[in-house]
Amino acid sequence: MRKNRNGVLIATVVLCTLMIGGCQTGSSGDGGNDDDVLRVAWWGGQERHTMTLEMIQLFEKKHPDITVEPEYTAWDNYWERLTTQAAGSNLPDVVQMDNSKLNEYISRSLIKDLSPFIDDGIIDLSNVDDAYQDINTVDNAVYGISLGSNALGVVYNQELFDEHGIELEDGYTYEDLKEKMRELGAAVGDGFYGYDLSSEFELFTVFARQSGESVFNEAGDGLGYTDETLIAFFQFVTEMLEEDLSPPHEITMEYIEGGESTIAGGLTGMGLIASNQIIGQQALTEEELSLSPLPALDGGVEGNWIRPSMSFSVTEHTNQEENAAVFIDFVTNDPEANEILQGERGVPISSEIRTHLEGKVSEEVEKTFGYLEFMAENSAPADPLPPPGESEVRGAFLRIIESVKYGQTSPEDATTQFRSEAESIIN
Amino acid sequence: MKPTQSTLNPTLKMKSTKGSIRKDLVAYLIISPWLIGFLGLVIGPMIASLYFSFTNYDMLSPASWVGLENYKNVLVNDPRFVQSLKVTLIFVFVSTPLKLVFALLLAMLFNTGRKGTGLFTTIYYIPSIIGGSVAIAVVWRQLFGREGAINSLFASVGLDGLNWLGDPTYALTILIILVVWQFGSPLIIFLAGLRQIPLELYEAASVDGASSLTRFFRITLPMLTPVIFFNLIMQTIGAFMTFTQAFLITKGGPMDATNFYAVYLYETAFEYLRMGYASAMAWILLVIIGVITLILFATSKYWVHYEGGNK
Repeated sequence: MRKNRNGVLIATVVLCTLMIGGCQTGSSGDGGNDDDVLRVAWWGGQERHTMTLEMIQLFEKKHPDITVEPEYTAWDNYWERLTTQAAGSNLPDVVQMDNSKLNEYISRSLIKDLSPFIDDGIIDLSNVDDAYQDINTVDNAVYGISLGSNALGVVYNQELFDEHGIELEDGYTYEDLKEKMRELGAAVGDGFYGYDLSSEFELFTVFARQSGESVFNEAGDGLGYTDETLIAFFQFVTEMLEEDLSPPHEITMEYIEGGESTIAGGLTGMGLIASNQIIGQQALTEEELSLSPLPALDGGVEGNWIRPSMSFSVTEHTNQEENAAVFIDFVTNDPEANEILQGERGVPISSEIRTHLEGKVSEEVEKTFGYLEFMAENSAPADPLPPPGESEVRGAFLRIIESVKYGQTSPEDATTQFRSEAESIIN
Repeated sequence: MKPTQSTLNPTLKMKSTKGSIRKDLVAYLIISPWLIGFLGLVIGPMIASLYFSFTNYDMLSPASWVGLENYKNVLVNDPRFVQSLKVTLIFVFVSTPLKLVFALLLAMLFNTGRKGTGLFTTIYYIPSIIGGSVAIAVVWRQLFGREGAINSLFASVGLDGLNWLGDPTYALTILIILVVWQFGSPLIIFLAGLRQIPLELYEAASVDGASSLTRFFRITLPMLTPVIFFNLIMQTIGAFMTFTQAFLITKGGPMDATNFYAVYLYETAFEYLRMGYASAMAWILLVIIGVITLILFATSKYWVHYEGGNK
């Protein structure tokens, strides 16, 4: 009996030691920041993961003294993970940053100003036009380096448009859009709608800017549009649905939630995207897609703008900011690295890299290059960064527009409701 | 048995000899994996969440004390809280009784001792194991999608399909069906309960000429009430915390029609980073579940019969 009990005792002690040991391995494997490994985090799909991992291998070959530990997930999990790491003071050294989240991280002093490294020349931006870094620069501090530029654009099924002789002339308006969709709908026949009405918040952002306003005010502590503008926007949305120029909301949502596209599915012929998304859209269909500018507002102003599709930022939790800077410079300026990355995150910001990649990237990527060149001539300066809480405002917007699209709330009531919800979120 | 009891009794600890200290240690060591887990993963986080519920905390910057403000805002100023509570209550009070009725009917069927009941019990139990999983949520979305199997079935008999998940009127019903379908664990418990009922009771009743319906209402149901009560409590609590199905299939939509309490709580905490507010919501949910469980317990003395008890 006694012997037996000793056996249990020993077993338990061993078990506990293993457990505690296991925990410790777990946390150091997760990369506490006191080691010499450079942790780099990004979100993306499988294609981006593969390319980025290959690029990291090349980096480690060219910089044998730096070891990179990648941390990659899909968009949804990414922010959860990052916030949890932030709460535990354990952020990766380099994080992929989205424009809509940047202010949250800046306002909590979680990311570093990179301007000293740019001044030192460790991050070489000599071939980069200031316009590409506009959004990342706040009060002369640089909080991120763009991984590629994009702009909102309209993706359309070129083959379908050609077949039915429909053309979107430069400077077409929202009314022209409706007219073209009526023509296309009549030509294609039953089961076809025309325009994919998703990304409504982005479309409204442009719509407000075209009206000479913006969603948030300059100071970022309130709203910056007038109610008439939002009512007009909701009316446009309602009209598109009433005339069957866009698929019913539930169909659009089903396609989106299933990771599909109504354009590739043949339900619609065009829709709003961020220009680099044409690469993902094209992968879903055999028919050739192209990019065109957004509709213009009759009597309005230029509303679209160029922005980083995403950036790399260096966090305050890092202990190897110099290696982080070397890594970011490599992504920005190394020709071979960019051959691997294929402009998938957006059009490279270095003019030299853009020239280098000509003829080395797919047709869709070339189209994004061309579109961004067009945009450089036809865009307005960016708005300041959205205030923290933008994602909640966006959530409220999408909920309210859903109810407008189901015909349960009038454009006027929806406008009042959104203003009161958004204002209570920002304050 | 005796020595073990005394070692676990703290009042006797002072008197323990050297040998029994060792025994204490052994006992604690044996339960230590559970103890560490309980303190570290249950009690610790609960205390932290209670503290955070009185603060404004976004995870990115330190929490700041706001007293009862979160509780006040949840209860007074949040229409989405009211909506999510309403949806959750409808869900709980519709799905739980349905699930128990199905489980009981099948348990009765399987209790007849016919051949193959073991196999069928297993088959009917499977949805409960996999039902909360991501895969089933995806399957469910396919089944009830616009071009899914259910609508194809409708089309084959010449009916127009419906947009089950996209329509605010049907989405909640679909989720209720999914959860009711997972009646396996109450089924097993009912089956065990049915086997406890002495056969002599039925025999005596038959002799007295009781019909099968009478036997069900006079013998089976009363004898089973403790088990029904247990299942009711467990399933009600489980239903209040339903998350996976709604989160994966409908994301709380359309128009918040399936925005269950747990889904709204998750969204507030992890998408909008309002951890303090979400913590307050969690404690309010705890109180709501507690009150409803207490009410169920209070009613139990009127309908639950324990063998050898007063009633």
